[in-house]
Amino acid sequence: MSIALYRIDDRLIHGQVVVGWGKPLNVAFIVLVDDAVRASAWEQELYRMGVPSEIEVVFASTEEALERLTEWERDPRVGILVAGDIDTLAALTVNRHPVSRVNVGGLHHRPGRSERLRYVYLSDAEASQLRTLAARGVEVTAQDVPTTPPVPLEDFT
Amino acid sequence: MSRPAVHARPGLVRSLLRLFTVQGSWNYERMQGVGIGVAEEPLLRDLRAEVGDDGVAYRAAVARGAHFFNAHPYLCGLAVGAAARAEHDGVPPEQVERLRTALCGPLGSLGDRLVWAGWLPLTSALALIGVALGLGLPAVLGFVVVYNIGHVALRWWALRAGWTYGARVAQALREPLLQRATALSGPAMALGVGAALPLVAQYLSGALFGWARLALAGVVAGGFALLWWQRRRLTGLRLGLALLAVAALAGWLWP
Repeated sequence: MSIALYRIDDRLIHGQVVVGWGKPLNVAFIVLVDDAVRASAWEQELYRMGVPSEIEVVFASTEEALERLTEWERDPRVGILVAGDIDTLAALTVNRHPVSRVNVGGLHHRPGRSERLRYVYLSDAEASQLRTLAARGVEVTAQDVPTTPPVPLEDFT
Repeated sequence: MSRPAVHARPGLVRSLLRLFTVQGSWNYERMQGVGIGVAEEPLLRDLRAEVGDDGVAYRAAVARGAHFFNAHPYLCGLAVGAAARAEHDGVPPEQVERLRTALCGPLGSLGDRLVWAGWLPLTSALALIGVALGLGLPAVLGFVVVYNIGHVALRWWALRAGWTYGARVAQALREPLLQRATALSGPAMALGVGAALPLVAQYLSGALFGWARLALAGVVAGGFALLWWQRRRLTGLRLGLALLAVAALAGWLWP
């Protein structure tokens, strides 16, 4: 079944990911791509705590994720891949890649960002980054949980 | 670097009291952030005493405390205590931020399982059983008291555990008692609610006879069917409130 959701969310793994998406998709593994978390044992422990034991959590650096992307795509189980920022996810869409859709699930307030949706705050640079991603043929939509309709890129950038 | 424990208690009590208002400034931009910052401030006050820095460290720490945050309202004190302790221990600012971010997920899901899907429905079910067995008002008052003893104890434990462990707060979440409580809360809730349902049904239908009892059964079955069919939009609370509105209207039209 492979990776059913490529998600950008600065909270990384939390309830919306594990319960909101994890339950209806029947997820068996979650890949967390973040260089800092990959290097930090205590952060990994905290993120693993929010996930039921039957779901496997894989921590990967951006580089490792690039290497293992096809392996995860061939996995017979269903998975979710989460990255904390646009850069990290965009880095996975270079050359020949299997990413056809990207879900913007939550990017929150930070100096320099303005509100686009209740759960999406972007700087102008980030908005154009998302448009570049879309221009490469990736379908980009915003959607926090599966019970709300996805918002097309034009409506929030 | 850790400060002496004698000063900790008044700060912790003040922080606990402020945590009761943590949802009051909830907004989409920072969610609980501002409330968290306000609650953390009493624990950061003695950073003002740092020599030759003119309160810069204190102000920066308070501002960091008010950044975006969201977790379960009863457990977010753990993040308040842990972040404040980390600030005192000289943990670099970006690490404090990462600690806060990493705590949102586990504290949210732990609180959901422990309270919203455990303690609250369990104590409500026990109160309903009490009412159905004829205990009346004392059962309701008992619920308010017992539920809040657990609630306030959880808030106090969370804040103290955060303050005790600081950046190593994962250790507090591994505590066997907490693990056991989390594992037990689901089954205990299911047992309580399962026992309450037939008793409450009997209690509520006690005043109805004949066709009225059949109509009640029909309404209940219809309610369940509607909840299942419209499960994306409808919740038990919304349906319950809608039924109350319909009943009030019907009672007003046909007194």
